[in-house]
Amino acid sequence: MDGLLAQLITAAFLATFIRSLVPLLLTALGGLFSERSGVVNIALDGLIIFGALGGAVTTLLLQPALGSAAPWAGWVGGALIGGLIAWIHAVVSIKYRADQVISGTAINLLAAGVPPVILTALYDSSTESPKVANALPLWGVGELRFSPPVYFAFLAVAVTWYVLYRTPFGLRLRATGEQPGAAASMGINVRRMRYTAVILSGVLAGTAGVFLSIGNLDSYVRNISAGGGFIALAALIFGQWKPLGVLGATVLFGFLQALSIALGGGDLLPPTLVQALPYLITILALIFTGRSRAPRALGRPYDG
Amino acid sequence: MNPVAVFGPYNTRVTHNTQSRPSGDASRVALIACAVAAAGMLLFPLAALGRGFSADAVLLHLSGSVLNLANNQQAPQADPGNALALGWATLAMIAVTLIGAVRRAGWFWITGLLATVLAVTAVLVLDNGLAAQIERVAADTSLRAGTRRQLRNFYDGGGMNLGLFLPLLAGLIAAGAGLSARPWVMDRFNRLRGLLVPVSAITLAVLVGAVVVLMVQPSVNPTDQALTLWQGWLAKSDVVYFVYSTLFAPVTRLSPLLSSLKLATPLIFTGLSVAFAFRTGLFNIGAPGQLTMGAIGAMLMGVYGPPSLGWALLPLSVLAAAAGGALWGAIPGLLKARFGSSEVINTIMLNYVASAVFIFMIGSETFAFLGKEYPLPFKAPGFEAKSQELQPTAQLPTLLDLFNVGPVGGGYVLSIGIVVALIALLIARFLLRAVKNGGLIAVVIAVVAGALTWRIGLPANVNGSQLNASFLIALVCVALFGTLMWRTATGYALRAVGLSPRAAEYGGISVARGTILAMTLAGMFAGLAGTHYVNGGALDEYRLKGNMPVNVGFDGIAVALMGQNTPTGVVLASLLFGTVDTGGVDVDQQLEAVNKDIVTVLKALIVLFIAAGGFLSRRLVDPPPPQLVAATDRTGTDEGGRLSPGVAAQQAGTPNPNVGQSSEENTREGGK
Repeated sequence: MDGLLAQLITAAFLATFIRSLVPLLLTALGGLFSERSGVVNIALDGLIIFGALGGAVTTLLLQPALGSAAPWAGWVGGALIGGLIAWIHAVVSIKYRADQVISGTAINLLAAGVPPVILTALYDSSTESPKVANALPLWGVGELRFSPPVYFAFLAVAVTWYVLYRTPFGLRLRATGEQPGAAASMGINVRRMRYTAVILSGVLAGTAGVFLSIGNLDSYVRNISAGGGFIALAALIFGQWKPLGVLGATVLFGFLQALSIALGGGDLLPPTLVQALPYLITILALIFTGRSRAPRALGRPYDG
Repeated sequence: MNPVAVFGPYNTRVTHNTQSRPSGDASRVALIACAVAAAGMLLFPLAALGRGFSADAVLLHLSGSVLNLANNQQAPQADPGNALALGWATLAMIAVTLIGAVRRAGWFWITGLLATVLAVTAVLVLDNGLAAQIERVAADTSLRAGTRRQLRNFYDGGGMNLGLFLPLLAGLIAAGAGLSARPWVMDRFNRLRGLLVPVSAITLAVLVGAVVVLMVQPSVNPTDQALTLWQGWLAKSDVVYFVYSTLFAPVTRLSPLLSSLKLATPLIFTGLSVAFAFRTGLFNIGAPGQLTMGAIGAMLMGVYGPPSLGWALLPLSVLAAAAGGALWGAIPGLLKARFGSSEVINTIMLNYVASAVFIFMIGSETFAFLGKEYPLPFKAPGFEAKSQELQPTAQLPTLLDLFNVGPVGGGYVLSIGIVVALIALLIARFLLRAVKNGGLIAVVIAVVAGALTWRIGLPANVNGSQLNASFLIALVCVALFGTLMWRTATGYALRAVGLSPRAAEYGGISVARGTILAMTLAGMFAGLAGTHYVNGGALDEYRLKGNMPVNVGFDGIAVALMGQNTPTGVVLASLLFGTVDTGGVDVDQQLEAVNKDIVTVLKALIVLFIAAGGFLSRRLVDPPPPQLVAATDRTGTDEGGRLSPGVAAQQAGTPNPNVGQSSEENTREGGK
């Protein structure tokens, strides 16, 4: 056990921890916007995948023209793709009043089918893209060097908190999720708020994907999200739909993921079973959250 | 019944026409269909006069021009015969129908039907020409066997193309729309209204898929001849037709049909699983995990069960599969009932856990625990991740072996007993429909007829197929689903929970119990899919194998939604998806840039479009009951599409049914 403890307080572990935490944090913040406006976003996992794919493909396409600036364009591309796909979810669930869970699942299913089709057409491989020449740069010191989305993620927590609680937009957003009827009577355009929130969630989840594909790795690989979108959703529930709560929950889940990565290398527990740990912990966490304080209009189409 | 009598004398706005003129909507449908067909005939190739293996084709356009992109440029061209003339006649008929639809004439169903007949004749004439070529090739002894086979396949691959398919379909649509003016036809259509959303979703998915194919696949042109813009377009559109005709082709021949049924079997299980949970207001995304645990259960019992049990091992193994899945379904059910945690997230998480357990069990022969290595007995020696082989008594027979009544090892002679029994059942049901217990008598008659004809067989030319008896288990599950849901008090309770948890609770039904039960049974259905892979050897070996396609669990969502959460619907949707899956493999082989994941995209799109209600208006999909329409018509206060049911019902003097609103309120409560 001593060996493990010593392993846990190294800078390398801290780096692993932060790398596991960031995609969850970004995605969960995205989910926060969407769900606070009253739209269930189970599509987060698919949005990560689309963002990762969009980031890698944009970088690869613009590489000859832009050189080392290409990954930045890739970031924009991935975030935009994430926003675009989220817009589809928004149209189907807001305009066409679909069951939001089913429509989100459809996006997740699309995320399983579309990347292989695009990769086959572009690069003749159904599972991964070629490596990009330049990934996003790494900033920091020593072993603690991270790509920009990491810093962006922590900034995003503060910004989200400020926007949600200190701006008119945040007030309207929360009102839309709690009492859309009341919000509408005060002159808030409920649909537009919801569209904005869902697209924003796509942009943030897309950024998480960009971090995974060209921030953490240097190519898109199949199943890149590894269910992170769902864990982020659980973190959102565990964090009670509050920015700081979400930060706390993702820190917990990120730590457990990093722990399972650290344990996976050792011979303490079977590595294949250790991989299941974050998912088991998620289930446990949801038990203790119980009937949580979800936005009251969550999951209900608004007809106005 | 005379519509006037129903609506009363105050009927000011005509809803159901008393003259036999089609309604505005129906004519508009016919108009659009005919316009699309006419444009399609001019813009797309009429037919392929032959097609090589890599989808290279000789394309014939309505204008008579031929575009030869075949790899084998020397192959003599098949004679299209009168197909061109028939094509022009079809176009003329479509044009006449179009005019009829614009004028909302009562006769355009006749011309629509004629257009279809003409198009079908053109297809037959074409096929005749191709068949003549095949005969010529077969008789030509100067060719080598390989060349002969190649040429035969080349002509066999030809046939109609978009230019004939579209008018064929449009003619039928126009005929249907025209006939809908008659009340008896309208009644039929009304009964089929439930199909509107799935059909519209498939159509839209096919259209979007076509755009995807157009974008990713360059036109097939192995000859390297420079194509003009027009020729390039023809070649491109041919690729789209080729993809879809290949996707849906497996129904037409026995061997691919069997593989479709094989691929459909696990979809039936997982579709039933998702549908069962849906009926109780729960969303089961955990079918992949439940399937995995079911397969593990079947493997454990099948490999390690005591051999002394003999034949009893097989049912025990099947039960173990059911139990494994049920356990994995019960967990999220319990968590939801006890702690209120969302079953959606929990089932997804359990998928990952199941996958970890799966890899743990068959991925390696040893495992490390607290610093020591322990042996693990499940994995068979070798590189591949797979379990030990099942005992022979735990293996399910293939259906071909089950129905083979010929001598052992002498090709397949398939018993006609089942078909006879089915036909007997249908006829007896129809004849005895007025008799008490007629259904039961019909079943007895069917069983007797099947038993009598069991030994009579038809020789079938078919390669071995791993379609196995788990297909029959699936059918039993379908029957179980139907009986349990609609013929027992438990099923009534479950459906009540699904429609309105609060009302169910008020009526004395335990929502918690219903939730646990529904998830357990849903898990059981998905777990039984494990028997298909393990006991049935669908992956060519009677083992639990690492390449088990657990994603069929997610396909179950699409199947359940397509099938409208009814057992029959699930079976039909599974057959459709099984067919498309089989065709997807062919497309993958024949085209370079399109792989079989296009099928996954199509399924996802279908789910998306069904979720959006097929983008159809509510008035079309779920029209208000006729009394309400009549009531609003009488008062004349509201628009047809937007009547408020409450007001209308009060004025009609009936108790307020609260249609539309109550069901929605309750689905919200059913959600998280």
